[in-house]
Amino acid sequence: MSKKVLDRLKAEFSDRILETSDFRGDDQAIVAPKDWKAVAELLRDDPELSMDHFIDITAADYPERAPDEPRFDVLLIVRSMKHGHRVRLKTRVAEDQRLASLFEVWPGTNWGEREIWDMFGIPFDGHPDLRRILMYPEFEGFPLRKDYPIDRVQPLVPYRDVEGIEKLPPFGPEEGQPWARIDWQARLEGEDIQVSPAIGTQVGQRPALSRGPEHEAADDDEAAASEE
Amino acid sequence: MPTFKLDDQEIPFEEGDTIIRAAWRAGVEIPHYCWHPGLSIAANCRMCLVEIRSGRQMALPVLEWDDKKKEYVEATKPKLQPACQVPASEGMEVYANSEHALKGQESTQEYLLLNHPVDCPICDQAGECKLQDYWLTSQAKLKRKKTPRVHKPKGVRFGPTIIYDAERCIMCTRCIRVCDELVGDHVLDMRERGNTNEIVLSPGRELDHDYTLMTEHVCPVGALTSRDFRFKARVWFLKSAQGVCTGCATGCNSWVDYDPRYQRVYRLRPRDNEDVNQFWMCDDGMMTYKRFHEDRILTGRVRASGRVNEVPRDLAVEAAAKVLEKADGRKLAFVLSAQHPSEDNYVLAKLAEEHFGTDRVYLTALPDWKGDDILRHPDHNPNRAGAEAVAKGAAKSMEDLVADVESGEVTAVISLGWATSLTEAELAPLSTLAGEGVGGAAHVNLTSNAGALTSTASVVVPVASPAEMSGTFVNAKGMAQRFRKAISAPGGIVPAWQTLIEIGRALGWTVDFARLHDVRENMPAPQLTADAGSPEQAAPAT
Amino acid sequence: MEPHYEELEDEASLELPSEPMRLNMGPSHPAMHGTIRMVLELDGETVMDVDVQPGYLHRGFEKSCERGTWSQVFPYADRLNYVSPMLNNVGFALAVEKLIGLEVPERCTYYRTVLGEIARITDHLTCNGATAMELGAFTPFLWLIKVRDWLWDVLEQETGARLTHSFGRIGGMAKPPTQGFKESTLAIFPEIDHALAETEALLMKNRIFLDRTQGVGKLSPERAVAMGCTGVMLRSTGVDYDVRKANPYMFYDRFDFDVPVGHDGDNYDRFCCRFEEIRQSMKIIRQALDQMPPEGPVMSEDVRYVLPEKDEVYNTIEGTIAHFKLVMEGLKAPPGEVYSYTEGGNGELGFYIVSDGSGTPYRVRCRPPCWYNLSACREMLVGDMIADIIPTFGSVNMIGGECDR
Repeated sequence: MSKKVLDRLKAEFSDRILETSDFRGDDQAIVAPKDWKAVAELLRDDPELSMDHFIDITAADYPERAPDEPRFDVLLIVRSMKHGHRVRLKTRVAEDQRLASLFEVWPGTNWGEREIWDMFGIPFDGHPDLRRILMYPEFEGFPLRKDYPIDRVQPLVPYRDVEGIEKLPPFGPEEGQPWARIDWQARLEGEDIQVSPAIGTQVGQRPALSRGPEHEAADDDEAAASEE
Repeated sequence: MPTFKLDDQEIPFEEGDTIIRAAWRAGVEIPHYCWHPGLSIAANCRMCLVEIRSGRQMALPVLEWDDKKKEYVEATKPKLQPACQVPASEGMEVYANSEHALKGQESTQEYLLLNHPVDCPICDQAGECKLQDYWLTSQAKLKRKKTPRVHKPKGVRFGPTIIYDAERCIMCTRCIRVCDELVGDHVLDMRERGNTNEIVLSPGRELDHDYTLMTEHVCPVGALTSRDFRFKARVWFLKSAQGVCTGCATGCNSWVDYDPRYQRVYRLRPRDNEDVNQFWMCDDGMMTYKRFHEDRILTGRVRASGRVNEVPRDLAVEAAAKVLEKADGRKLAFVLSAQHPSEDNYVLAKLAEEHFGTDRVYLTALPDWKGDDILRHPDHNPNRAGAEAVAKGAAKSMEDLVADVESGEVTAVISLGWATSLTEAELAPLSTLAGEGVGGAAHVNLTSNAGALTSTASVVVPVASPAEMSGTFVNAKGMAQRFRKAISAPGGIVPAWQTLIEIGRALGWTVDFARLHDVRENMPAPQLTADAGSPEQAAPAT
Repeated sequence: MEPHYEELEDEASLELPSEPMRLNMGPSHPAMHGTIRMVLELDGETVMDVDVQPGYLHRGFEKSCERGTWSQVFPYADRLNYVSPMLNNVGFALAVEKLIGLEVPERCTYYRTVLGEIARITDHLTCNGATAMELGAFTPFLWLIKVRDWLWDVLEQETGARLTHSFGRIGGMAKPPTQGFKESTLAIFPEIDHALAETEALLMKNRIFLDRTQGVGKLSPERAVAMGCTGVMLRSTGVDYDVRKANPYMFYDRFDFDVPVGHDGDNYDRFCCRFEEIRQSMKIIRQALDQMPPEGPVMSEDVRYVLPEKDEVYNTIEGTIAHFKLVMEGLKAPPGEVYSYTEGGNGELGFYIVSDGSGTPYRVRCRPPCWYNLSACREMLVGDMIADIIPTFGSVNMIGGECDR
């Protein structure tokens, strides 16, 4: 049924399709990382293919390959809503090699690529928001790499300290709830800046009553300094 | 090099190679039980039967069941030939996975299991048994036979080391051939035929030569088991590290099989090395692993006012440094050990040369034992050559040390290891040194096991055994062979060379080699002929 | 300190100045099902932007699979979508069977179908019940959960466990159907019909329910397809894609059933699609139970992959070896890679598995339907009110175990 897809790809890209296979009926084409996005765009836009339905993007780690061979496989699975055929597109990337993001081709790759970055550490060029997704930002290493031991213990993460922001624990810009601190009057007067010296250059926020007991000495020093 | 075709692969061979040997060299396994690369060809298990399509084909008239006619009809099929016996020839076309060859393997395997007892749960071979492996790859079917099994003797004592189970035996005769060909002692043979076939001892004999464990080693099934290893561990929990036997100056290559959960060595197995031990090891060598766990010194010992006190290792290191600090450098003796790897000996000799500026070096070693012209070397020490290379041939004997101590030439000793050719009584002058305690003259001993040197020491510092460290032994042929760490030493114990660096630093010795790599770079080792390979290299089952 | 607007004549012309507010929902918020954090940018009560953050239930499913045997994946697979574990069990078994090329007996396939469809019904009952409850309608929740419990009784009778069955095997199912399987399954169907009818009577003309579901959480079909949505989420937008119809696996091509689709892609459509799917599932189960052979094995007999009978293990050496090899080393799937996909509770449940020929999986990738469904959530929520998050998120039916793995 979908032999057609591989034939079409071969016709269009000839030897840039490095390898094709159909083990157990799964049609697969392997391309070089540089052709990754071009092939993906063809898959989506070609009327014969019109593979509009994004299914999955994932990766696999093969660290035991020869040193000059790329370490990771990145796989894309897409299908056509119109024709019903599907294909698995594969590319091989080396460690630290960047791969073009397919976000512009199928927006669904957003989370898939984030997960690959999170789990395998393969960076994507042109991804709008390449953050860790299943793990937390302080996580060290990439857990689905084969050289990541399953029983590795991660370091304890200290309380997140967001720099440059004076915050009232437990509130902060990350934690939200700034409504009590917006100084409407200042804003209505056309000045979008702080009226109180206690917080500094925060925008449109009500002066904090206190930054907490541990800051009292610092507050006093600052107050004394500003008086002088 | 001429080649032949095995399935779809070109296999190179040398003149005189059989098909199976050429394939074995190329890393291709044709299923087999009785063939062993180190033994003669018996061709009696029939597992390696292959289809040879080149040359004059042999056809065999058979009766085949015809499902349509519901009766047996006459047919022919190619006659299979044993790959272990047919010499390879140029351009030969051999098929080990053709329909007929596979059918042959399946039938042979089914036949071998006909009367096999249901023993896997209590059999030591389970997990490394060829019957299990080939059942999966060649048979993979359940039993068809409905009649009761034939019973044969079980648990027969063949000698002090080997137990025989006739029910598990597949009569490959590898054990008979080991005794005949390796040792030249026809102590085993086969009797009866068919179902009652079994291996027996020569009348009036028992299996008691020096290579009895090799019969167990070559046994492809669980028929022969080692009394030492029986029921001690399950092999799938064991891991293997590349070792070198510490028994004698031959330096047989071994696999050190240990359980990582308990950090314990359970057995040694010969590791193939054509230049040293081929496929074999002697019984005494196979048992050297016991020393990794028996008579171990695991804490420091300090002698004070006539008593030996056990102290933590770190305190013993401190005490050793204190003793050596007060010792008269010109009267301090350094005793290398032929039982310790070159790394240990090198660092000790370096300490003597660089820090104390002395060349008063002695060598301790075990006395010679019974050698033979198979593997056993008369020299009972694995590293005499290495230690002598480190001492640049200037090492004096232990008898000289005792004489020097008695004459007052030597007032303090630092010695390596437990092994010595002298008895405790002969070493008595050293214990007079020890008796004086920390007062300036003393005997510091770095050792992994208890021995005569240990009991005459005033300070004993525990060090790692050869299973607990990576090192180099130089055998009698002058081949430096590296071995790798299998288990971790308990309680912060480190190899002697590291301990010596620790003591040396406390004495103010500036050492510029702190890692194994640096030590090896500086070491005057003979040509390294056999590396232990990479640690990832899998240990092949026998 | 509210500002004064005395000088302004017309209060209606006043635009309230507002700073986007940042609000955390979850991960321990009851409507977030305990495992999702949403960081909202609010303009008043309107959601301007939302950052959906999954991962709070990540247990390393894929990593854990890489250290056991193939059969040891089943308990983990149960805990992916824990509302319909049987569908995961079967999905994984089918993937490994595809890799091996193993055929299972016909009776087994029917048995898998029936158990899987029961699991699908429980999945949809839970989702719709919870959605209704989160909108304040507690009664339908009780009705639907009551029927779900009876279905779980059937699953318990068959597998011995209500939730985590671990009942799938590579090459079949652990046990054949019990004697009263057919009767006890069919006996619950009138109750399901009754519960559905009652729930619909209570909700489908309910002004509050309609207001909060109709036109809320809308997704366009084009976006849904490009975002990788599958299952009810995709079908509610009017796209006709059900793996059971599009790429029939097992015996789904032998059954007569319909795939319900919506047209607006809103919460209401998803709710209705689920109810209709329950009815279709019952239809499938009836046909499957009719067609299922009353006798026969439910396990393949290839001893390279399937444990032999205990009688064989204890009494013959071949059985002992088979058992030993399968338990100690694991079944050895041939080297290769396949992607196998089934219709899970929430959509296309895919397993991309790689074998290196040893007894341990080299890589097991689960393509969780919720994962991509949830990633489309942002588009559905932006522009709606904060209160709409609850029914929208509820009808997406995010299952933490499957989403975060």
